[in-house]
This record gives sequence, C-alpha cells and structure tokens, in this order.
Amino acid sequence: MAATATGPFGFAPAIAVLPLVAFVVTLLFGKHLPKKGALPGIIATAGSLLISLVMFVAVGGGNAYHTTLYEWTAGAAASETGADGVAFTFGVLIDPLSALMLVIVSLVALLVHVFSLGYMNAEGETGLPRYYAELGLFTFSMLAFVFADNLLMAFMFFELVGLCSYLLIGFWFRTESAPSAAKKAFLVTRFGDYFFLIGVVAIAATFGTVGFAGEGSFVTAAETAIDDGATLFGFDAQTWVTITGLLVLGGVLGKSAQFPFHTWLPDAMEGPTTVSALIHAATMVAAGVYLVARMFGYYALSPTALSIIAFVGGFTALFAATMGVVKDDVKQVLAYSTISQYGYMMLGLGVGGYVAGVFHLLNHAFFKALLFLGAGAVIVLMHHEQNMWKMGGLKDKAPVTYYTFLAGALALAGIVPFSGFWSKDEVLFDALIIGLEQPVILAAYAMGLVAVFFTGFYTFRMVFLTFHGEPRSETAEDPHPVGWAIKVPLIVLGILATVTGLVNMAPVAKLLNVDITFLEFWLDGEYGYVEGLTYHAYHETVAFEEGVIGGSETTTMLLSAGLSLGLALAGAFTAHTLYNVPEPTRHMQKLGGAYSLLRNNYYQDEYQVWLAQGFTLPLARAADRFDQTVIDGIVNGTSTVSLFSSNWVKRIQTGIVTNYAALLVGGFIALLLVLGYLGGWFA
Amino acid sequence: MMIEILIAVALVGALVTFVAPNRIAGKLAFAISLVPTALSLWLFAAFDGSGNALLDGELAFESQAAWLEIGGYSISWFVGLDGISLPLVVLTAILCTLAIVSSWTPIDERESQFYGLILFIEAMLIGVFSALDFFLWFVFWEAVLIPMYLLIGIWGGPRRKYAAIKFFVYTNVASLVMFGSFVSLVFGLGDSVTSFGLPEIATAMLAGGPEGFFGLSGTTLASLAFIGMFLGFAVKVPVVPFHTWLPDAHVEAPTPASILLAGVLLKMGTYALLRFNFTMFPEQVEAYAVPIAAIAVISVIYGAMLALAQTDLKRIVAYSSVSSMGYVILGLVAYTQFGVGGATFQMVSHGLISGLMFMSVGVIYNATHTRMVTDMSGMADRMPIAVGVLIAGAFGYMGLPLMSGFAAEYFIFFGSFGSELLAYSALFTSLAMFGIVIVAGYLLFALQRTVFGPYNLETDYEVSRAPVHDVASMIVLLGLIITLGVAPDLIFTMITDAIDPIIQGGGL
Amino acid sequence: MTVDVQYYVLLSMAVFCIGLFGVLTRRNALLFLMSVELMLNAANINLIAFAFYHGNLTGQLFALFTMALAAAEVAVGLGIILVLYRNFRDIDVTVPTTMRW
Repeated sequence: MAATATGPFGFAPAIAVLPLVAFVVTLLFGKHLPKKGALPGIIATAGSLLISLVMFVAVGGGNAYHTTLYEWTAGAAASETGADGVAFTFGVLIDPLSALMLVIVSLVALLVHVFSLGYMNAEGETGLPRYYAELGLFTFSMLAFVFADNLLMAFMFFELVGLCSYLLIGFWFRTESAPSAAKKAFLVTRFGDYFFLIGVVAIAATFGTVGFAGEGSFVTAAETAIDDGATLFGFDAQTWVTITGLLVLGGVLGKSAQFPFHTWLPDAMEGPTTVSALIHAATMVAAGVYLVARMFGYYALSPTALSIIAFVGGFTALFAATMGVVKDDVKQVLAYSTISQYGYMMLGLGVGGYVAGVFHLLNHAFFKALLFLGAGAVIVLMHHEQNMWKMGGLKDKAPVTYYTFLAGALALAGIVPFSGFWSKDEVLFDALIIGLEQPVILAAYAMGLVAVFFTGFYTFRMVFLTFHGEPRSETAEDPHPVGWAIKVPLIVLGILATVTGLVNMAPVAKLLNVDITFLEFWLDGEYGYVEGLTYHAYHETVAFEEGVIGGSETTTMLLSAGLSLGLALAGAFTAHTLYNVPEPTRHMQKLGGAYSLLRNNYYQDEYQVWLAQGFTLPLARAADRFDQTVIDGIVNGTSTVSLFSSNWVKRIQTGIVTNYAALLVGGFIALLLVLGYLGGWFA
Repeated sequence: MMIEILIAVALVGALVTFVAPNRIAGKLAFAISLVPTALSLWLFAAFDGSGNALLDGELAFESQAAWLEIGGYSISWFVGLDGISLPLVVLTAILCTLAIVSSWTPIDERESQFYGLILFIEAMLIGVFSALDFFLWFVFWEAVLIPMYLLIGIWGGPRRKYAAIKFFVYTNVASLVMFGSFVSLVFGLGDSVTSFGLPEIATAMLAGGPEGFFGLSGTTLASLAFIGMFLGFAVKVPVVPFHTWLPDAHVEAPTPASILLAGVLLKMGTYALLRFNFTMFPEQVEAYAVPIAAIAVISVIYGAMLALAQTDLKRIVAYSSVSSMGYVILGLVAYTQFGVGGATFQMVSHGLISGLMFMSVGVIYNATHTRMVTDMSGMADRMPIAVGVLIAGAFGYMGLPLMSGFAAEYFIFFGSFGSELLAYSALFTSLAMFGIVIVAGYLLFALQRTVFGPYNLETDYEVSRAPVHDVASMIVLLGLIITLGVAPDLIFTMITDAIDPIIQGGGL
Repeated sequence: MTVDVQYYVLLSMAVFCIGLFGVLTRRNALLFLMSVELMLNAANINLIAFAFYHGNLTGQLFALFTMALAAAEVAVGLGIILVLYRNFRDIDVTVPTTMRW
C-alpha cells in the first residue's frame, strides 16, 4: 500500500512554514502585538498540529508521501559507488514515523506556547517577542527536521534547532550563568555535529546520494555495496557503513545528550522551564534518537554500530539515573532523568527494537513535557524557587498540578498501567532476548534494568519532597496561584501520559492473543508506508540472534516485565520510606563516598571544562606566543636585519663632499683596473 | 564597454570626492558608489557568458584594445567576465558601498580624501577581477596596495605606521616573487605566446608547457614558477606561515578598510591562485597536492587556535579569516567541481560574512571605543538590533545551515572528501572540518563575554542604540548571506560553469 | 704648424688632475667650485681638440653646451655657497654634515 497520492499531503510543507511565518511576524511586529507576540505562535502551531493530524489520518488511510520540494544545488561528483552526479535537495517524507513525530512535536509545541502565557507573560518577563520568535523558529526547524527526506536536510535543521536551543537557553542573557550554559550546550553538541557532518559528507561522497527513502537512497546503495562486496575508501563495504554510521551517531549522541556528550543538558536548565519542556525534553533532544530511527535501515546493516548504540544507551540510562538521585533542584532531577530515558530509547533501537524505541520516544515526549511543565507550575507556585528542600506540602494547595505531576511521575517510573511502563518494558524485553545471545547487549540490558530502580527512586523522591510532608518555607505555605493557561496543558498532557501506553500493550497482546499492538502495526506498514522504511524490513535486515528463557517467549516476557515493574516499585517504595515523612532529611551519609562522586556528576563536567580551559586554551595561548615570537619574529627579524645592516652601510655617507669625491675617484680607478685586468692589459 | 564604465565611474567619483568639501564627502561618495553597485547588479542580471575566461569560454562584457608592444610581446587593455569573476565584482561593488556607509560615524578628519581613496580602491579591485591581460592585471593588483596603505597609515590606530609598512612591504615583496616567476614562465614559453593575454598563456601552458629558460628545463621551470607564484599569492591570501601581516593590518585599520581588506583584498589572493596556479598548472597541482592540502589544514586549525587565544575582537575576526581562507585552499586543491566551486563560493561568502563581522565590531567600537573582550559585557542590553545581527553573523561564520557559510563549507568538504587527485583526501577533509568546532568555540566565547551578561563597560562612554545606517547596512549583508545560503545556485551554477573547463581541461 | 693631438690630451689631463686635486684637498667651497670649473674646462679642451682632429663640429658644439652648463652650475653653486655661509657662518664644505641621513 505504498501509495504516494498528493491530496492532503500537498499541505505538508505548511506544517513547517506556518511557524516560520510566526517567527518572522513576531520578530518584526512582536512589540505591537497583543500578548507580546504569543498569538502568532499559538495560531501557527495550532495550524501545524491540525495539518499534522490530517497527515496522520492520511497515513492511516493507507497513503504515504515522498516528494522533492526544492533543489538546493546539484553538480557533478564522482562517488565511490559509481554515480557521477549528486543533487542536494529539500524534500518532504511523510511516512508512519514522521507523521507520528509531527503530531508529537506540534502538539507539545502548541501546549508549551499556551503554557508560556501563564509562565512567561503572567510573570511580567521582558523580551517576550524575542522569546516567542525564537520558539517559532525552533518549531519551524524541528518540524522541518522531522519531515526531512534526506540526510543533508536533516543535518541542516538539526543544526538550526541547535541554534534555537542556544538562543533560548540564553534567554535571560543578563545573567552570568545562562549565556555560559548556552555556550556549553552549543559547543558540546557542535562537537558531536562535527562527526555528524563528516558522516554526511562521507555518505554523500560514497553513495552519491543522501536520500532516506526509495531506490535512490543511501541505505539501498549501501545494501547493494555490501552485497557486491565493494571496497569503499579502502575499507570493505560493511566496515565503511559501520564507520559512517558511527560518525553520524556522533551528532546523535550530542543532541540526545548521551554519554559522553550529556553534560550540556543539565546546564541547559538555565533556560525558561517552558523551553526545557519543549526543547530539552520532548522534541529537540529527541531529534538524535529520531534520526537513528529515521535511518534505521542503515544502522540495521551494521551489527557493530547497533551494539555500540545499545551499549551507550544502556550505560547512559544507568549513569544518568544515579546522578539524578542526589539532586536538589527539581529541574536538575528532570534533566538527568531525560538523559537516562533517552538512554533507554537508544538501548531499544540498538537491539533492533525499532518499535520499542519509537514507542518510548512517543511516551517520553508526553510524560516528560508534562513533568517539566508541572515543574514549571511548581516554580510559579514557589515564586521561582527551584530547590526541592524548600518545598513540601504543595499537594493540597495545588491539586491539579499535583495529580497531573503524579501521572507523569508514575509514567516515568514505569508503573503499570501508565505509559512509561509499556514502552520501557518493551525496550528491556527486546534487549533481553538479544542479550541472551550477545554478552555486550546483556550488559547493556543489565544496566538498563538497574537503572529502573534508580528511576523509581529519584522520581518519587522528587514527588515526595515537592508535594508531600510539611511546607518547608514561607512560600510553600502560601503559594502563588496558577491560571488556566498553566492548568489546561497540564491536564491534556496528564491524560496523554496516562493513556498513550495503551497503543502498544505488547505483553497483554501476547497473553490474550489479541491484535492490540497498534503502534507496531503502524510502523510495520499496516497502514500507509514507504517501501523499505518499515519495521518489517528493518527486522529482516538486523542480524541479531534472539534467545528466550525457559523455552518460551511468554515466560521471558513475563519475567522481564515483572522484573522491571518490581524494581520500579522497589525504588518508589525506598523513596517512600526515606522521604514521605513530615520532616524529610538528607540521607547523604548512607551513600558514603559515592555521594560526592554523584553530586559532582562523576567529574564529567570537570574533565570537559579542563579539556576546554585547561588544555585547549593554554594550547591556543602557546600557539599565539609561537606565532608572535617565532613566525612574526622571523618577519620582523627580516626587517630588523635590513635596518641593522643599513645602519652600518650608511656610515660611509659621512656628509663630507670631499669624501664622496675621493670615493668616486677611487671607485673609478678600481673599475678601470678591473676592466683593464679583464681586458688583458697586464698580461 | 560596461566594465570600462564601471571602472571609470569609480575613478571619476574618486577624483570628484577628493576635491569635494569634507562635509558632504561621505554622502557624495555613497551616492556615487551606488552607480557601480547598480551597474554590477545589472551585469549580474545580464550575464551571458559561459565557460572559463582563460580556457576558451564565452566572455561576458569583453573588450580588448592594443596598448603597448614590448620585446615581441603585445600588451593590451583586455577585460571580460566569466562565472568566477562576476560574483567577485558584484561583491566588491556592494562591499564598497557598505564600507562607505559604515565610515560615516567613525571617520571625522580628511573625509574627502578617505572616501576618494575608497572609491579608488573600488576601481582597482574591479580591475583586478576583470583584467585578462597579465600586465594590465598586475597594474591593478599593485595599485590596490597604495590606497590601502594610505587608509591604514593615515586613519589607522596607534601602531598604524608599523602595520601599514608591514602590509605594504610584505605583500609587495610577495608580488615581486610572483611577478618574477610568471614573467620567466612566459619567456620560457618561447614563441608559442606573443602577448601577455592570460587566455593565450593558459592555452600554451596546457598545450605543453614551457620549453625551458635560463638553463632550466621546461618542467623544472614550470615547477619553480608554480611554487614562486604560490608563495606570492599565499602571502596575499594569507596562508600560514605568511599570515602575520593580516592581524596587525586589521587591528590598526579603520573599520571600513578592514571590511574591504577581509572582504575583498584577501580574495585577490585566492582568485589569483585559481586563475593562475590552479588553471595553468594541472600537473604541478597534482604533484604538490599533498603539501598544499597540509598547508590548508594547518591554516584552518592553526588560524582557529590563534583566534581562540585573542581578546581583541578585531584580532579574533582577523585570525578566523586565516582559518576560513584555509578552507578555500583545501577546496582548490581538491580539484573537483564541488571543491573548486565551493572554494569560489567561499570567497564570496566569506567576503559577506567577514564584512558583516567587521562592521559589527566597528559599530561596537564606535559606541564603546574599545575592542577588548575583557572591557565590556551585556552589549545586547543597549544595542539589541545590532547585536542580534552580530549574533546572526557569528553563526553564519560558524557555518550555520541556510546561511552562505554553510553552503560554502559543505561544498568544499564534499568536494574534497572524495577527491581523486588528492591523496588521503578523506583524512585531510576530516581534519580541516574540526575547524567548525573551534570557530564555534572562540566566537561563542567572545559573544558570551561581550554581548551577554550584565551590562558593564570599562571605558567612560554612554552606549545607546546603534545608528540606523549602520544597522541597515548590516541587515543588507545578513540578507545576502541568508539568500545565498538558501539558494546557493544563484551564483553556484555560474561558478561551476566556469570551473568545469579547469577540471576537465587539465586532462587529469 | 699644427700641434699634435696628444699634447692637447696631456694638457687636458694636467688641468683635470689639478682640478681633481683641488676637489680632494681643498675645504673652501669657493676653491671647490673653481676646481670643478677646471675639470669642466679640461673636458672642453678634449672635446675641441678631438673635434679639430676629426674635422667634426659636434665636439665644439658640445663644448659650447658645457660652457653654458658651467655658467649655470656656477650660478647655482654660488647660490648654495651663499646659503651655506648664511647658515653656518663658514664656507668650509666639511662643516655641514647634518643632511646626510
């Protein structure tokens, strides 16, 4: 059913263009607009959401869409696989994956725009037209990234969302910390993008195409090259695919804040909480993982690359979760949990669990946006206090915030039946069955499993400290009220966080033998699809053996689900005993030496700051000194030597006419003698 | 005739401005400079050339007239445009107009002479990019130095004499080396050439190269000429290790001179490299590809590292120009359509972006009278629009997609990664690409220190919004940068059209 | 009776050497100028002698030129000497050395 009807798909570019128009309008006229420029953004994102939903329905109706909109440039370039020309274009690719992601992004963007009315406008912030313009630009870039039909276009908008992230983290530019965090975020992700760009260039130079889909895609070309046993840039095709895939992965690790490029995300919490919700939780950070899903066919060709993705994902999931345990700032806890959750998605994709990874992406977008907006609501309640130790007892004073936040927390911790449980369980199950045959992936699975406990713990530590117990400060006793603009997005997201898990209840489907894994069908081409971009196709390509425990898939599944649920509950229960008391205290001594290690984030920031300031900067200064002394020294030395020697030579110019005359005569006589000698007078 | 009119308007304008009263010189020069700008845009629209000017291409706006006859070689007034030179002519005209506008605020003495010199330099620059006779070209090439020397030496900063003399002597010595190499090459070509017309020399070079001269064999002579000319142009580009005149000249030069210096004068070097070394010596390019690529990579990384260590905004941008010009060399040596085309595109793009950067630094300097990163912070608070454009320009410099810098760098990287001529091309390209990380490092660092943070200024000046004309010219540049980034084919097709004969004509 | 040309050359050489000796040894600017005149006239003798010898008038013509030149030179030279005297209260040519670099 791979149809490519135009029909409603003709409106697809408008999804991105509407926010771009909002950006331009707000940038130029924001000051004169009502609500300080919020309205164009709200209207545009609402329009984008509407069109995205139309796309979604159209894909559901069995169609897909792939077209080239605009040729950026084209030219002659001999590629390794024989093509002699290349065209770099902008195109639209609407398939199940991108349609789903478009809906997620435009929905969260709309809700965040609305929430901003309560969070930013009501708080009397200055510079709001700038804020809304940047949000618009971000939404534009993100949506265009999502429907990009080729790697270069994806890279371009990938970079643009990075710019928007930079601008929005640095929104409060009059402080010292926000610009610094913004710089760090851009630099760390740029470092990842460096590898990404090499990957793009390498793929383009190798295959002569950067398309994601269809016959002319680099995925197809790579498959052909591997089948033909071609040699690419001196490597065999399989190795080269692994190398280029890992290069692109550099950008993914940067954007999705995976180890070792995760350090920027906690700092990025310097931005407004709305921005954290939209960019640093639900959408931009998802761009990395989305990219892996988008070009999954390529990674599927390389088991090595997949294993690395899985291992990095599992490691990051655990690594970040442990750091989240000891944070005091509510946004910091959420930041580390975001890193950890993206680790799960990477784990899921890395073991070939395309559906599981995308499923977790979907759920996480909603529940993490919910948690961040909930945290934003708490921050409004608390008059911009973010330290959880100064909160407490907000449960009764702000019930809407509490219950929606709780729904998000349950989803994050992975408690049945909230959304997070279903997807996290599926990720872990997929990892387990592969891990039974592959030790590396088993290790990744084990780390992911342990992380479940920590996730449950830090999530409920956060909930208990914030909402339960007695108020621990004056503002907590008398919180600032929140308006409808804050409550409505919370309620919408709260409902979504509760129910989205139902779209793919794989364990239930297995047990009851009913066809209710809708997301799997969706991604598998049951509805509209593009040839080669289905779960089915990927699953056939991925060369992983699957194992089961006790000879039965159902047993394995139940075991896996039970294990993760049990660990999550154990974590939550531990948090309950430690922190759900009227006067909670810190329990740092229980962690001993590990506490300071965790508080300092495993000294990851320190070594990266050292790399920048302790290594690169002195190196640059040394280069500068070398330049000034040696290289410029030689240049100036040339002139000094000339001046010095002329200083000696000029002494024969005494200024006394008689001496000149004598020199003239002497010179003439000498010349005469020389010429005479040469002429043979004295022979 | 169009090119003659273009040059004549600028020259007559220079004379008129020179004798005009100081009070009106700025506005008058601006009005006059609009004529070449409009004309060059018209040339751009009416361009009907194809192919390469040196390799049997269809020239646009060609004109030729006999001039001199020396020792069996005829020298003529020979001008014309192809897809490589036309964008540079347009760039020159636009940047000169904007440079004049950006002088209105800072230049407050000897205005008529200042603006006269700018118009004079414009005429000479257009001549450099359109001349197709070696002698004529060389006259323009050298004539550019004089006004620039005066602009730096008279209106410059505290160490202006040192900087002006260094600039003049360094580039002049380089010109001498280049001139000697080229003329001995022409003599070496013997009877196959009878004029200094560049097309004729290029044809003779590709047809078999020199026979030998002064006891040197033909191939040795060609290699020596290639090296000599490369060194001569390398100073102008500038390439590490011949770059040290550039930061001194930039720091001391007044803002408008910096705009022209970075925006157009540096492109003379890369343009000449493309026209001479990379068009006439395909065999030598192949033979020396690896060392040249190594120099390019060193320029990129080393220049960027130097920029990282600076605290003077102008020095930062100056060293980053060294880095950006390294990309051009890499693209040229790749010898592919995208590589050489991207290098040419980068000449235009870097002209626009570095012009914008120097303009922004100038606007900040006019208001604060300091360029030191450590002396100020929070400028965004006082001049929001100008700083907004500055940030956009800085991101353009970092190669943000949909701005011309990204297009140029991407073309170069793509062109050089798979280059067949250059050994280890993938490795060289990957190393050079690391420049995009360092450039982000120093520019973001500078932005963080100067335009963000709480407002503070060490010098005693009251900073208010930037003048409208400055902001307007910055926005014009930004518009061009974004236009070329979104639609590179506006000039890239005409560039590649002129590049193709070079790559194919080499027979490699 | 005609005198052989070598005697003219000898005379001219002697006059030239006297002039040269004057230029090299004298410090008085006026004597300096006179010595220069002697050298110029030595050249004139040569020119006229050879013109006569070759029967060609060009040499005589050149001698006339040289005379006119010498007159101009004396005028300028005397002017310089006057200025010299005004500035230094002396016409010793070794005194004014300040203009060398």
